Amino acid sequence: MIVGIPKGLLYYKYYPFFTNFFNELGVELVVSQDTNKDILDEGVNYCIDDACLPVKIFHGHVAVLKEKCDIILIPRIMQVRKKEYICPKFCGLPEMIKNTIPDLPRIIDKPIYAFSRKKLYTWAKEAGSMITKDKNRIKSAFNYAVMEQDKYRLGFNDKSQQLTVALVGHPYNIFDNYINMNIVKKLKRLGVGVITEEFLEDNLIDEEIRHLYKKPFWTFARNSYGFASNVYRKNLVDGIIYISSFACGIDSVVIELIKERIGNFPLLILKIDEHTGEAGLDTRVEAFVDMLGRGLR
Amino acid sequence: MYYLGVDVGSVSTNLVLLDNNMIVVEKIYIRTRGSPIKAVQDGFKILKDKYDNIQIGGVGATGSGRHIAATLIGADAVKNEITSHAVAALEIDREVKTIIEIGGQDSKIIILRNGVVSDFAMNTVCAAGTGSFIDRQAERLDIPIEEFGDYALNSNMAVRIAGRCAVFAESDMIHKQQLGYDKADIIRGLCDALVRNYLNNVGKGKEILPKVFFQGGVAANKGIKTAFERALGLEIVVPKDFNVMGAIGVAILGKEVAEKEGQTNFKGLNLADSIFESNSFECTDCSNRCEVVKLIENNRHIGCFGDRCGKWSNRVKAL
Repeated sequence: MIVGIPKGLLYYKYYPFFTNFFNELGVELVVSQDTNKDILDEGVNYCIDDACLPVKIFHGHVAVLKEKCDIILIPRIMQVRKKEYICPKFCGLPEMIKNTIPDLPRIIDKPIYAFSRKKLYTWAKEAGSMITKDKNRIKSAFNYAVMEQDKYRLGFNDKSQQLTVALVGHPYNIFDNYINMNIVKKLKRLGVGVITEEFLEDNLIDEEIRHLYKKPFWTFARNSYGFASNVYRKNLVDGIIYISSFACGIDSVVIELIKERIGNFPLLILKIDEHTGEAGLDTRVEAFVDMLGRGLR
Repeated sequence: MYYLGVDVGSVSTNLVLLDNNMIVVEKIYIRTRGSPIKAVQDGFKILKDKYDNIQIGGVGATGSGRHIAATLIGADAVKNEITSHAVAALEIDREVKTIIEIGGQDSKIIILRNGVVSDFAMNTVCAAGTGSFIDRQAERLDIPIEEFGDYALNSNMAVRIAGRCAVFAESDMIHKQQLGYDKADIIRGLCDALVRNYLNNVGKGKEILPKVFFQGGVAANKGIKTAFERALGLEIVVPKDFNVMGAIGVAILGKEVAEKEGQTNFKGLNLADSIFESNSFECTDCSNRCEVVKLIENNRHIGCFGDRCGKWSNRVKAL
């Protein structure tokens, strides 16, 4: 049996768990390629028009995988922290895909509540039973996958350059280099190192969100705000770059909250959508770096 | 010694020649019309006819087409539009605190404090209110773009036009026209709408302090300038060379780089007679499938653009 895993959305954050889990179950795995033009085109083709770019791209990954596997993982991620949620598009992702992409293989779309090991195991039992009847095997695969995920460290923490910026935004915008047009590489070329939220202790984020009048509902909103607020308060960076998908509702709130928090501290918002021309992004990034470096004269 | 600045924008390509004292001795404004290479060459032809024997000590390129222009002419400085505009404004007046810049497809606000850029913003995904949109409306109303602003000044009452989106604005204008409103009032309404849109989007949350400079092609439009003055309650200064400020700024930066390096990379005005060709192809070496543009001068390959990995564009520098 071949299991397909689309390399989109939260793949970057949680792939050690998913790939190891299915590997340990003894199936053959096929992961889609890094996002590219064909995947973008397929995604835009199939996906409903008003979804954000990362969701469209996820559709593209599914479309290029569908004929290469017998069963495909479309993670319906509901929660990764207690009392917080993920963007609603994740809850309905399987439906969005089922209703737009024809001739799909079988789908693993059981809801994922990843805020505790026990809850996540519920998913593993359900998903695993689509592949094997051997409960012990599912259990040991799950344990192994969780261990591998815990070992995994994602993100950037480069303080070796002349300038340092905090790169903020949803993980798929930060780590999919097709979406963000290789921003980390671009910044490095300009003498700027990047740090990301993964290197901030979780309890420090809690400390920051106390500034808000209400605990954030969305996990990624919490992380983005907490991270931006922390680097600002502790003066860890020269500026903040926020990568935001066009039409993202969560971003529209978080960006305003961050602005309110950091006042005049340098902040660049990069809106990304389907365009592949890089001139607009380059201009903004370059000008921002000029400004941070006071490179005028 | 003279210094050359080239600003290849979406709508216009501007060239300026500065003398030793950073005074503009020549400015050339050409419509890009989708052919940046031809536009630069046309500009060079004009320069060559007039100034064939002068010595050029440094050149700079800016605008969204700055990379292709830089390869073409051998630029000493390649800078983004924001830095270039700021440099030019500060050269004219150290007291400038705010720059409103509206070009063909971009609109920007640049906040300057103590002679350095302290904040800036550009329009994000929508080009409503930029030059291209005004151009199109002028064409639709059958008014020469040069007279567009004067129409607005002749109006006593603005008709309210939706300004958030170019498509909404256009349909709103058409509906008001069909109801028989005066053209001048509609145009004034449009100017107000564009300014409202600019201040609510690009200028949102920015502290707009005097002196305020208004630059870019749209600054020629008196209707928009007046609408800004009404909305902000401040005097708006349109500098003499408002439409070539980016080119002036980058000429200054080109001079600085060339002086530091002790030489210029400038390839000379003869470029006007070269034959340029550009071919694009899809690179199939990896899954990115970049659309690469290859630039050829007189059968000699001089540069590539558009690749993500740098494999093609880096090859240029070796040549």
